[in-house]
Amino acid sequence: MIFATLVHSHNYDQLLLKAQASIFPKIVLLDKKLNEKLVDGKIIYTIAYEEEDYFTAQEIAKYMKINFKENFDKYNYKVNLIKFSNLSYDMNTTVIYALNSNENIQKVANIAKKKGIITFSYDINNLKNGLLFSLMLEKTTVLYLNKENLDNEKIDFIDSLLQMVNFID
Amino acid sequence: MKKNFNSLSTKIVVSIAAVSLFIILVIFSVFENINKKAFLNVEIEKANLIAKTIKPLIALNVYLDMQNKINQIAHQLIKNPNILSIKVLKNGEIINEVKSNEYKNGIKDAFIIKKDIYKPNSKINIGQLILVYSDKGYRELMEKYTKVMFILLFVLSVIFILFSLYVKKLLSPLRKIARLLKNYSPNQKIKFPFILKNNEIGLISNALNNMQEKNFQYSKKQQNINNLLEKKVNEKTMELRKQLYADTLTDMPNRLSLFNDIESADNGALLIINIDDFKEINDFFGHEIGDNVLKKISDRLKNMFSADKNIKLYRLSGDEFALFFIEKPSFDYFIKIAKKLVYYIEKMIFYHENNELGVIVSVGGTHQIQKALQKADIALKSAKKQQKSFFIYDEKLNIEEQYKENMDWVNKLKKAINQDKIIPYFQPIFNNKSGEITSYECLMRLIDDNDDVISPYKFLPIAKKSRLYDKLTEIMIEKSCSHFEHINHYFSINLSTEDIVNPSIVEYIKQKLKKYNVAEKIIFEILESEGIDSYKNVSYFINEMKELGCKIAIDDFGSGYSNFEHLIQLNVDYIKIDASLIKNLDTDSNAQIVVQTIVDFAKKLNILTVAEFVHNEEILIKVKELNIDSTQGFYLGEPLKCTIHHLD
Repeated sequence: MIFATLVHSHNYDQLLLKAQASIFPKIVLLDKKLNEKLVDGKIIYTIAYEEEDYFTAQEIAKYMKINFKENFDKYNYKVNLIKFSNLSYDMNTTVIYALNSNENIQKVANIAKKKGIITFSYDINNLKNGLLFSLMLEKTTVLYLNKENLDNEKIDFIDSLLQMVNFID
Repeated sequence: MKKNFNSLSTKIVVSIAAVSLFIILVIFSVFENINKKAFLNVEIEKANLIAKTIKPLIALNVYLDMQNKINQIAHQLIKNPNILSIKVLKNGEIINEVKSNEYKNGIKDAFIIKKDIYKPNSKINIGQLILVYSDKGYRELMEKYTKVMFILLFVLSVIFILFSLYVKKLLSPLRKIARLLKNYSPNQKIKFPFILKNNEIGLISNALNNMQEKNFQYSKKQQNINNLLEKKVNEKTMELRKQLYADTLTDMPNRLSLFNDIESADNGALLIINIDDFKEINDFFGHEIGDNVLKKISDRLKNMFSADKNIKLYRLSGDEFALFFIEKPSFDYFIKIAKKLVYYIEKMIFYHENNELGVIVSVGGTHQIQKALQKADIALKSAKKQQKSFFIYDEKLNIEEQYKENMDWVNKLKKAINQDKIIPYFQPIFNNKSGEITSYECLMRLIDDNDDVISPYKFLPIAKKSRLYDKLTEIMIEKSCSHFEHINHYFSINLSTEDIVNPSIVEYIKQKLKKYNVAEKIIFEILESEGIDSYKNVSYFINEMKELGCKIAIDDFGSGYSNFEHLIQLNVDYIKIDASLIKNLDTDSNAQIVVQTIVDFAKKLNILTVAEFVHNEEILIKVKELNIDSTQGFYLGEPLKCTIHHLD
């Protein structure tokens, strides 16, 4: 059991977490305007968590470290773990991966929207609150995208990505 | 069949069909190639397009390791009936492969599209997409295309058949006109169809019609001219035919007519009447009188035999008439008619300017129909030769054989002349005192095919008749003079009166004397008996030759009428005493007296004497006793080809 489930933490499907940890960094690389989003030449992959999910976030980071080593493809990357409460408009990040939160999803969405940050959500339902991508394991692996949130000049994914995702309104 | 292939319509249709077929084949083959390629390219493009379309998605899924998604896409694609197989490779390993049932069953008609898969938003190759695409669509398309082309060919063929029928129909009036013209005759008018048609056929019909009119008029005129010409030609033919078979002067049938009658007769007999010396009547009294005489003779003959239907009269030539007995008469009656002819014609008297003219006739006849004309001619010649008024051809006389022999001799002579077989032989003449050769007599010899030496006595009379004589004389002169050109001896050549009176021979003698420089060595031997008739000519020749340095001998002196007066006047150098006096000189006292007289006479005139025909010693002794200067004869030397003789 890699991801231990704590008493007060949210429930996370470990397989889904792994899938998301594998796929989301790759999706970041499909942004044609990725270079504009680099922070000090690096991809900053921020994992936002509620306090009780800190361990889950750490596990994700570890998994990514194992899976991707030091680079996403040609880019260096850094995984930042940050509490939802510490998120602010001043922060510099390329990606925010939001774990479950009952109250802060909207905050993530607002910051991301304003700063053109790519957002991934563990829970698909968060897409309705303004996050961009999520991933579900159904019969096949299905990538979801909230097209409402895509309307942003700062994010421009390759067309084929848009062809394969499932859109939600 | 051949006619059909040569027809204009066939040629037009075949030409158009050939050109069109060629164009269609070119277009067809070009389209076939282009379209096949195009159709194939379309299919390839389709496959490429599919591959191109799904490649990014596949690439993304490969990139994202979303195998399920790749599988889903592949299964969706395989629903396309043209896609037989989809294979996705990642880093060289197959990560997904879907095959259609058709492909599993082993279909082979397909092509493969391979596409490299790159990492999205990058050029890094992460795999390969292999699409097996069926060319069923291509094949179906090609089948449809070929079908359309065959339909097109069929339609074009039908169009060509219809077109050829149309061309044939268009040209059919020309055929009709041609059929009418086939039997065209300038005398017969043809009613040409299509005259009222306002097209090229109409123009041709009109032109032919006009031409026909002109031809008709011309033919009519030509026919009139032809009729006139035919009439004239017939008249002229009749006239010529009459002239061919009839004599215009006497209106009697001519020689040709007689010839035809003899040819067509089974028996019969023929008499030919010739007026002797008729040429003299013409020469002295003119041809008008001559013709008048002939007319009167013909009238007399007509009167004499008008009642006798068995006798047909002819005029053969100027002075010759013929009586042809259609049925052979008895021999006595035949002789009687011949005599009657001579009697009545010679009895006729013709008057001219108070002069009375009479004619003498000779009659030759044959009582046989075979070769009648030839035999009657021979008989006529015999009558004249024998100076008889008539002569009837008799097989027993062998006259025909003699003629044949004469003709053979003529041929032999001609051949000998052509083959250079007339040569001189040389017989020496010896001086009776010194015993040395004084001269040679050149004697003519003919060498026949068997290399036998023939004496001139056998062929000379015939040569004189056949006009070969001049040539023989020339040969003897040329060869003899040539032979003695470098031999220091006198030589003699015999000349006849014919030679002496022939200017061309005299001129030839002069040329040869000059050419071989033998005038001082030559002796011309002239026959005593012949010289009398042409004394003046002989005398002139002798003088001419003596001026050149030649000597003259009188040959055969004593054989005939020995005219001493002539001998004196002719100024001869030698007398050759005739063989008839010498051959028995040793025993014949009369001959001795005549020879003694001749020798004495000659001595007085300083003429040398030669004894010929000395054939034994006794005669030679007698010749010497009689003081004859020279001797010639077999006893001392016979004629030889060469001139080397020695007296023993």
